[in-house]
Amino acid sequence: MAKASMRERYQLLTRDLDWNPSYVTEQQLYPHTRFEGIKIHDWDAWEDPFRLTVDAYCKYQMEKDKRLYAVLDSFAQGQGHLQVTDARYLNAIRLFLQGVTPLEYQAHRHFAYLGRHLNGPGARFACLCQSIDELRHTQTETHAISMYNKYYGGFHSFPKMHDRVWYLSVPKSFFDDGLSAGPFEFMTAISFSFEYFLTNLLFVPFMSGASFNGDLSTMSFGFSAQSDESRHMTLGLSVVKFILEQDPDNVPIMQDWIDKWFWRGYRLLGLVACMMDYFLPKKVMSWKEAFELYLEQQMLEGLFPDLAYYGIEPPRHVEQAIAEKQYLSSQVFWILYQFSHAASFTTTIPPKAEMDWLAEQYPDTFDSIYRPLFEKAERMAAEGNRFFFPGLPMLCQTCQIPMGFTEVGDPTATSFRSSQYQGERYNFCSDGCKWIFDREPWKYIQAWLPVHQIYQGNCGGATIPEVLAWYGIDAGVDNGEYATSPDAAQWAQWHQPVVAGG
Amino acid sequence: MSIKALGDYDFPAKDRQEVYGDDQLVNVFWEGNMLFCAAACFRAPRAMRWADFKAKMIDPWASADPDYRPEAAVKWRKDDKPFAPKPEQTLAQLGIPHKGLVKFRTG
Repeated sequence: MAKASMRERYQLLTRDLDWNPSYVTEQQLYPHTRFEGIKIHDWDAWEDPFRLTVDAYCKYQMEKDKRLYAVLDSFAQGQGHLQVTDARYLNAIRLFLQGVTPLEYQAHRHFAYLGRHLNGPGARFACLCQSIDELRHTQTETHAISMYNKYYGGFHSFPKMHDRVWYLSVPKSFFDDGLSAGPFEFMTAISFSFEYFLTNLLFVPFMSGASFNGDLSTMSFGFSAQSDESRHMTLGLSVVKFILEQDPDNVPIMQDWIDKWFWRGYRLLGLVACMMDYFLPKKVMSWKEAFELYLEQQMLEGLFPDLAYYGIEPPRHVEQAIAEKQYLSSQVFWILYQFSHAASFTTTIPPKAEMDWLAEQYPDTFDSIYRPLFEKAERMAAEGNRFFFPGLPMLCQTCQIPMGFTEVGDPTATSFRSSQYQGERYNFCSDGCKWIFDREPWKYIQAWLPVHQIYQGNCGGATIPEVLAWYGIDAGVDNGEYATSPDAAQWAQWHQPVVAGG
Repeated sequence: MSIKALGDYDFPAKDRQEVYGDDQLVNVFWEGNMLFCAAACFRAPRAMRWADFKAKMIDPWASADPDYRPEAAVKWRKDDKPFAPKPEQTLAQLGIPHKGLVKFRTG
């Protein structure tokens, strides 16, 4: 028998293995695809952009794994942990391991669910592949970054921290919001908003940061995941187009989700903005430049004119994000700086050369607002009084970030919004977060806000040491000021020049 | 928007006042001072007198800024409404709601 072509094999091994149920109705077999109001008339119209079969998929992934683990071996043999720009750089990677890796695992679980629950075989198979990708990313990220765990603080216990620590409730609650939505909203949230619309601002900065800062291990993971990520991006766009083409009634529902998930994702990106501008000793580009290139040029000028054909408009509140590009990273850094006693990373006031770089990148805001604040904190540190926020901050009910954001266009006026629901008051950092709450208050009133949970006595105790112990943070090693940390001391010792015969 | 769910969807608010018994949460913001990145959140008895709330909660927090002088805290507001708390009044009497916001300025 002649060998089948790739296309024929895909047809035979994927779509042709499907059958129509005869003992139960289609609705009984797929009970989760109607309640959101999305109408799908023809599942066969689903275009799978990558016509893969299980055997071809496994072959590609095995080859990539082999290459990655060979690099990790040589990294370990060659003391790769000494080759990064500075031990301070590793704070970016802590944030990635604690904040992003557990999301990969959640994505693995939920795409497995979609691989069971979508009506069309093409869609189910694409979700199965993505599910396996996400599990592989969880594993390879963990292995790549574990290279640093032997030598530096803050890398242990990351899944526990993800579930418990205050700043990690930001990515966790973002993803939980998606997991607890219906399948179509999840695909819009994760496949489209997260993996397509925002990916160049989320995943790429960490990997380019690794590459610029001599982190061979994380960079190699990034290369190994790159072809998967581009497949997920293509899938994200084809999902949205498929849903929009199926029924005009789907358009307003999709627009609403795109609006919601843009702002949810954008608030999460605040952590990436801070990482790019403040955590990387060697900068790739500023947050502002990245935002202009990837969001304003590629998405607003590239993607959205295409989506206008379907009646989709640029996301609500995007103009607020554009205004915030001038100061977002500094606002988030300032929050992390003064709460790093309660974090599994360290921070420090940027060295003068970096402050000058920030002033060049942000000429309208850095010297007038942030440099004076940083200089005051520097003076306090010099007097032995390193500034930490005493007590607990007010949190936004939706994004769960301490309420350090400001009125649009005025970086000196902190913004406060609130709503009433069933006789209770809820606080928000922005119009976007308030709008998201007001759409579905019954959902967000259940938010597990770290500050309120501590006050309810659910986080190990009433004092900071008790809460840190419950978080799994090794106080004095994982957290606080970088300059006086064991990591900084060790790094200096490892790089001390030894004078022969001296 | 109406609730779209597979089954009944009715869950209590996680931070409703009753969970805190006789206490409530109060947020306090120092306007015009960016050293503190955000307002502070306190848990305090509703029966706590303003004088105690100020001396035992707000002052120790704000004193993390070496430039803070307790007597310089003025222009008190509930959200954006000016108010003049008297030392003997309790948080409940002052009408500060659970998770409400109090602001002040200095100098």
